[in-house]
Amino acid sequence: MRKLWLILAAVVASVAFSQTVPALPAYNGPAVTITVWSWVPGLDKAVAAFEQAYPNIKVDVSNVGSGPNEYTKLLTALKAGTGAPDVAQIEYDFLPNFIDFGGLADISKYAAPYESAFVPWTWGQVSPDGKAVYAIPQDTGPFALVYREDLYKKYGLSVPKTWAEFEANAQKLAQATNGSVQYTDFYSTFAPWFMGLVWADGGKLWTHSGNGWTQSLNSASAKKVIDFWGNLVDKKYAATLPDFTSELNSALAKGQITTLIEAAWGPGSLASRLGAESAGTWRAAPLPQWGTGGTFASGNWGGSSDVVTSQSKHAEAATIFSLWLNTSPTALALNWENGGLFPAAKAGLTMPALHDTSKNPSKFFGGQDVAQVYAEASAGVPTDFQWAPWFLYANDNFNKYIADAVAGKTTWSAALDAWQQDVLNYAKGQGYQVSGQ
Amino acid sequence: MRRGGIAAVSWRVLVLILALYFLLPFFWLVISATKSTGQLFTSFGLGFASPWHLLDNIRGMLAFQDGVMGRWMLNTALYSGGVALASTLFSAMAGYAFSKFEFPFKTVLNLMILASVLVPITALVLPIFLILHDLGLINTYWAVVLPLLVNPLGVYLMLIFWDQGFPKALQDAAYLDGASEWRVFWQVGLPLVRNGLVTVGLFSFVSTWNNFFLPLVVLSKGSLYPVTVGLAIWNSTAQTGASVDYPAILVGALVSVLPLIVAFFTLQRYWQAGLTAGSVK
Amino acid sequence: MRRRWFVPYLFLAPFLSLFLLFYLVSIGYAVYLSLFVQRGIRPKIFTGLANYARVLHDDQFLSSLGTIARFGIIQIPIMLLIALALALYLDGLRNARWRTFFSLSFFLPYAMPTVIGGLLWGYLYSKGLSPFNQALAPLGLKIDFLGARGLLWSLGNIITWTWTGYNMVILYSALRGVPAELYEAARIDGASNAQVVRFIKLPMVAPALALAALFSIIGTLQIFAEPFVLRSLAFVPTNLMPNLYIYFTAFNYGNFNYAAALAVVLAVITFVLSIGMLALLNRQRSRL
Repeated sequence: MRKLWLILAAVVASVAFSQTVPALPAYNGPAVTITVWSWVPGLDKAVAAFEQAYPNIKVDVSNVGSGPNEYTKLLTALKAGTGAPDVAQIEYDFLPNFIDFGGLADISKYAAPYESAFVPWTWGQVSPDGKAVYAIPQDTGPFALVYREDLYKKYGLSVPKTWAEFEANAQKLAQATNGSVQYTDFYSTFAPWFMGLVWADGGKLWTHSGNGWTQSLNSASAKKVIDFWGNLVDKKYAATLPDFTSELNSALAKGQITTLIEAAWGPGSLASRLGAESAGTWRAAPLPQWGTGGTFASGNWGGSSDVVTSQSKHAEAATIFSLWLNTSPTALALNWENGGLFPAAKAGLTMPALHDTSKNPSKFFGGQDVAQVYAEASAGVPTDFQWAPWFLYANDNFNKYIADAVAGKTTWSAALDAWQQDVLNYAKGQGYQVSGQ
Repeated sequence: MRRGGIAAVSWRVLVLILALYFLLPFFWLVISATKSTGQLFTSFGLGFASPWHLLDNIRGMLAFQDGVMGRWMLNTALYSGGVALASTLFSAMAGYAFSKFEFPFKTVLNLMILASVLVPITALVLPIFLILHDLGLINTYWAVVLPLLVNPLGVYLMLIFWDQGFPKALQDAAYLDGASEWRVFWQVGLPLVRNGLVTVGLFSFVSTWNNFFLPLVVLSKGSLYPVTVGLAIWNSTAQTGASVDYPAILVGALVSVLPLIVAFFTLQRYWQAGLTAGSVK
Repeated sequence: MRRRWFVPYLFLAPFLSLFLLFYLVSIGYAVYLSLFVQRGIRPKIFTGLANYARVLHDDQFLSSLGTIARFGIIQIPIMLLIALALALYLDGLRNARWRTFFSLSFFLPYAMPTVIGGLLWGYLYSKGLSPFNQALAPLGLKIDFLGARGLLWSLGNIITWTWTGYNMVILYSALRGVPAELYEAARIDGASNAQVVRFIKLPMVAPALALAALFSIIGTLQIFAEPFVLRSLAFVPTNLMPNLYIYFTAFNYGNFNYAAALAVVLAVITFVLSIGMLALLNRQRSRL
């Protein structure tokens, strides 16, 4: 049944694809070499295929580290006015910071025709004002629920469809185990995780209009989300172990936590972090909803794009490479298999490699077609969510206030208020026109 | 042993406990290197778990990116060895000048060198990047080596060792024998400050070995990375959803420490001797 | 003297040329940067000392200075005392094997790559897994090493762990540099062990100790890697310590100009603090 659905989806998608997306452009310029900074493992194989398709563009690719390591280098080179690559991988939430810095080229001239190749919300991320285009979407991290099926059976839990059921499960588990097994984990040190949940609720943290910004880190939606999780933490239904730590890995391996809200790259990460421990016992399900009967919505955590820097002298070739890397079937399959990149391209969501249940992460998830859950999640991500240039400051200071709430020194919504005020003061101090909402 | 036997033994025990405490991180690294991914998080961190996976982990490390670890180790050895040798010599020469000569601007220079150490490297990375770029050295071995050859703390250390270990009388005697300036420094002086050279060399070697920030910023070619940058980049993929082999990274970290231990042992011999062999101590 | 005037400069030349190129020029450039306001790579505006005026009113920076002062006053003396005691102990130890073992043990933490710090401290300092907490469990104790209260102490432990061996090596090698004749003379005069320590070893090691203290003050004001690594495990404020704050200002928020001003102010503060140490150092040197 699922297979049939898949084939159907693939056919529909490919028809839609061929109707609206123009073929990748030819490159008629002079022979050039472009430099690329990316932390996608195994990118050299995709590059070899690209150089065959575009003999006049040579690609010199370096892995200079993921996230902060690369940004440090990139900011230094941009500020120095020299030494930046043509193409760099940047996460969506960091894009406005680099745009504001003046470090990214507007590539709408070359890229705009390809908007329809990508899941709509990802284009909103790379083209915040709908005109200029600063990046090509690469991978995404829509949210789903991942859970230990064995533990659910053992404790008689059913997969929650709403957050109310989620909380009911947590309560039931706490009673059944006397608190020795916790239902879930609140990633208190990761602001983008929390922001992704607000995103899933249709909430907004920043909006840009005219010359000014509005910031609402403590909006009704944000407070609804934080109060919900705060309640779980207060009642000890949710642990507060930071993601990627030994302590969380240990708790997961020992079955002390049953359920996580994970982005699309999460299952692969879990599979490699936990190795053989708890393999085959995990399953994925759609993100719980706030109510029943509405349209299904999810949020996004992480994912990245490929930008062309303002120092690049080969913007056209650089854009062609970025487009090829993120839309061509060859590259999409390689990026998924070697790098675990959950694609932003519509075509990628239906490719067979993504749904290969004999390999991780599906193997770690007992052979479930995990990607299907996440492909549907991606379709439910609201398209108009925006970040601000000072997102990094908000990100770095989220936990300053949340840690107080975890410790019971303040209420959860008061923590958000304080955070909002702190970040607002910072943004004003940096000269941004911004008002609190 | 007879004199103050109990006191000596209790001192020994106290220092031993302290030593074990200081060795904890190393124990943890050695033990972790023998574990599989799962064992890493399910077994007691300071106890071995069976079965051992050391060989698998070594294989995992060697297989990573077609054995790039070996390349990184070699790079690090080149950086550290080169920097340690050259910067120790430069520091010894500069310290000698400050210790044994009077010359105009000596105090000014002295203060300038001190003042330069006070500016945190975080503020100097951008200018250093620009200078290296203007010299065309970005993405070369020189980009890592040249800035690290300046070792102001080494100069100060050597200054003290020159003061202490090479008395004026000895220096004057050498001059009277008709030795040239360079001979007095190289053949008469240097052997007497061996301890200082070894200390400065060791510090310089280790700090270059573990240096991360400078090579991160000035290099973007995997083939030039030192092992610290390579491992950090390898480790950082853990947070991207790509598969990551923690045990292999830990073995890599362990392997990267071993040469430092060897270096320490080798240099240790020079200290053990003390300044004059066969002293009463 | 018949010595020629340029000889000292020849000895200084290799160090000094690189020093001028990489330090003085860099510092000059940093000072230049600090006189401008520039968002990203947009046109820069000369603002003179405005950045410095801002530093003096920057609560985040001032609070980081307060933290580092409290931290250093406790951590530096503890670390130096342990290092001195160990150096004296090793120097008096006759068994060469123990001496090697001990000096290596204390030095090893300095050699541990910071890269794996996240995994290492994530284990040693986690609430649930820490061997310390497992040892304390029977007493019903559980320490939150990386909580708001424990953070600075845990950091102090890491830094003591890392740098005690370093300082011990400085002091130990200074002790080994003491000419043997001095000890012989003392023995002939019938000095006791304690007297040898008090009247020969301590004075001889004093310049090295002053130098170690100077290094420690400078190093403490520039602490960066250790709190940075802990950020993956727990909440570490970006302004916990001055250099961390400078790093974030430049490399996270992209404000290199303001970061340069912060760095210059930090350098001036360090300078004032180390002047005392330097005077002490010079006095001791002149006595020799």
